[in-house]
Amino acid sequence: MVNLTQQLFGVTFQSPILLASGTCGYGEEYSTLIPLNEIGGLVTKAVSLEPRPGNPPHRVAETPGGMINAIGLQNVGLDRFRSEKLPWLRENLRSARVLINVVGHSAEDYEAVVSGLDSDDGFLGYEINVSCPNVKDGTLFGTDRQALAALVEGLRALTDRPLVVKLTPNVPDIGVYARICEDAGADGLSTINTFPGMLIDVEGRRPVIGNVSGGVSGPAILPMGVYLTWRAAAAVSIPVIGIGGIRSGSDALQYILAGASLVQIGTALFVDPSAPVQVQAGIADYMERHEVGRVADLVGALTIPGRE
Amino acid sequence: MTAPVRARARVLEIRKAAGDTFWIEVDCPQIAAQARPGQFVMLGTGLSDVAAPFLPRPFSIGAREADGRLGFLLRVFGAGTRRLSALGPGEDLLVLGPLGRPFTLAADRSIVCLAGGVGLAPFLFVGAEAKRDARDVRLVYGERTADRVFDPELIRRITGVVPDLRTEDGSLGRRGLVIDDLALDDRPQLLACGPTPMLRACVDLATRHDLPLQVSVEEHMGCGVGTCQGCVVLSSEGEWIKSCTEGPVFDARELTW
Repeated sequence: MVNLTQQLFGVTFQSPILLASGTCGYGEEYSTLIPLNEIGGLVTKAVSLEPRPGNPPHRVAETPGGMINAIGLQNVGLDRFRSEKLPWLRENLRSARVLINVVGHSAEDYEAVVSGLDSDDGFLGYEINVSCPNVKDGTLFGTDRQALAALVEGLRALTDRPLVVKLTPNVPDIGVYARICEDAGADGLSTINTFPGMLIDVEGRRPVIGNVSGGVSGPAILPMGVYLTWRAAAAVSIPVIGIGGIRSGSDALQYILAGASLVQIGTALFVDPSAPVQVQAGIADYMERHEVGRVADLVGALTIPGRE
Repeated sequence: MTAPVRARARVLEIRKAAGDTFWIEVDCPQIAAQARPGQFVMLGTGLSDVAAPFLPRPFSIGAREADGRLGFLLRVFGAGTRRLSALGPGEDLLVLGPLGRPFTLAADRSIVCLAGGVGLAPFLFVGAEAKRDARDVRLVYGERTADRVFDPELIRRITGVVPDLRTEDGSLGRRGLVIDDLALDDRPQLLACGPTPMLRACVDLATRHDLPLQVSVEEHMGCGVGTCQGCVVLSSEGEWIKSCTEGPVFDARELTW
């Protein structure tokens, strides 16, 4: 029997599989289709201080090997999240871990959301979103070193809960941003958010996406995600959560071997809600075949010929 | 609401019903048992192949049989729908459903279904159920040209209703639009599905005659279950609301036109 558990952030994750922010709502929507209490956990849709209306349609479209989206962080805002969404998570997710994705226009916004949630029950910690490509200031903090350091330091002072920062791929060296987060007190990193992209309807000569541009996800970005996870993991000693195009156990293992302690599944949920269970089974099967007892033993266990 | 089911479904039959338009039947008893007219499913091929359609596509449920069959109207729009149209009997599809809010049929009125193009799909199911319940139901169905008209004999076989056909160029059925020359004296309930300009015209018609109207809308969809918020339409209050879970059927007054 293989052991899929991971000890991270002071708790046990029963498996390395999490559902990615923006793809699993607030958990309840998928609760009859995905056995949430059999996976590692989930990251909620972004929560902002005030409700956000989101972008005009079309908001999603298929791209080769994936999709493009520009939802625009539509969400119910802090107050309604606390009164309408968090209670369901608290009452129904007994063994899955919950990270709340937090977004803001300003450092004060982020701080207000974290302060507003911190004394509530029903979640483990935060995933700080500094990397949304689909709103005007979405990557502001993720691409400005000083602003990023100040943001993470400010949030660190407000909470003892795990603080994970979700990074954008859209920087010249992700290792620099990873180290900034670690130095500022982050407990972990999520790599990566979507890549900015655009799709044009040539018949109509107009952008397919209402927001003009969007974020590209799905299997098409897997090699970039693996690479950036490898770079980030090499730059820091805090845990890294790998994201981007995972749809099989072997995809997840690429991230884990690159240095990810956990992984997130996003776009694949839309293709088949059984993806998390399939990925989990794929990892277990690999571990049996390779006689690996604990998934932790695979984290970063990459061998580069000539560099051993 | 019943909980949606994820199921592998075998294709039983796929037949051409008009130019680039197909009628596909799959064996899917778990979903057929729960389905209601106006609901939809997400149809896809699964995770193993990234060729389009990688993301599943929403399809109105066009028919549901007691033996567990589900029927869908499929028109080829791009690479994804082309690949689905090339499936053969015995091949598998991944089906998620039934999804969304169904039509609510008024007990005390006759029903007039206004179908534009592939907007015919939900009314095949509505027509069959209404006919089975001995309701007074009319199916007004419009296309641009005759070559796009879904086989009227197949419509009659699925629903028991003989469609009132319209084409814009008059090449088949009456020349004109689905809203032209309608007999509305019995003050029917209107149901509409089709392109947005057609739906707007239906809203005008319903407003002018003070008739109740439900519309089924179509938007690009990601998940089909309300998580991704990809498929929004503008509510009458000016908010983006999800067509997958709050629709796809709306009272026309719930939306901004």
